[in-house]
Amino acid sequence: MTRVLGWLAVCALIMGLVADFGWAPREMTQGNVQRIMYLHVPSILTAYLAFALVLLGSVAYLLSRRASWDHLAASAAEIGVLFTAITIVSGSIWGRPTWGVWWTWDARLTSTAVLLLVYVGYLLLRAMVDEPEARARYAAVVGILGAANIPIVHFSVYWWRALHQPAAMLGPGRAPMPGWMKAVVLVNWIAFTLLFAYFVSRRMQIARLEEQA
Amino acid sequence: MNPMPDHWNYVLAAYGLAAIGVIGYWRYLAARARALSQSRRGTGRRA
Repeated sequence: MTRVLGWLAVCALIMGLVADFGWAPREMTQGNVQRIMYLHVPSILTAYLAFALVLLGSVAYLLSRRASWDHLAASAAEIGVLFTAITIVSGSIWGRPTWGVWWTWDARLTSTAVLLLVYVGYLLLRAMVDEPEARARYAAVVGILGAANIPIVHFSVYWWRALHQPAAMLGPGRAPMPGWMKAVVLVNWIAFTLLFAYFVSRRMQIARLEEQA
Repeated sequence: MNPMPDHWNYVLAAYGLAAIGVIGYWRYLAARARALSQSRRGTGRRA
């Protein structure tokens, strides 16, 4: 199953790259630098999915005390951190030619940086506690509290006056972009979700091996 | 009319760094799985 997911992810990522650079036309205002959006938006959407799974795994662990839920939460958090880092780095690189700065303390950027720090803290907490049950319990509490930041990040562009553009996907109302652009974002989002599923599956296998070691 | 130059270097930097992150994590997982299965095999042989 993991291997199949891996190959599906590779095929979908190749399709995504073809859509990004071969199919999507050059954007009229920003030119080709706008193509960074096809990496930036799907990566934050995948990070949301990862942190939602951390929430699910954390709640399920506290209710059932089954280690597999804790493994799911830990695996999703690690991969969520990777995708959030990709979002921040790609956004910063996109911001330099379009806004003129690498970073600004805008509500969306700041809340995303806080999101990253919360889940890096979650992983550090896990690394600091040796006793497996206590580690899972403390981490579950942080995993549940940390999820409160997901809607703050997503709706920050509506709640505060922000330099960042409104949500490209999953926002209130229609997405502020043409259909072909949405299609390219969607192809990449599916590819990133498959990659995420592959990484989670692989990471959970490792967590099980670590438990047996 | 094009109000902005293309900035392909920024595009390549963004995609390149993302690829480094993803491939780096994939390699980390592969190395971790290899180390754990080797240590399990070692433990099995000693037992």
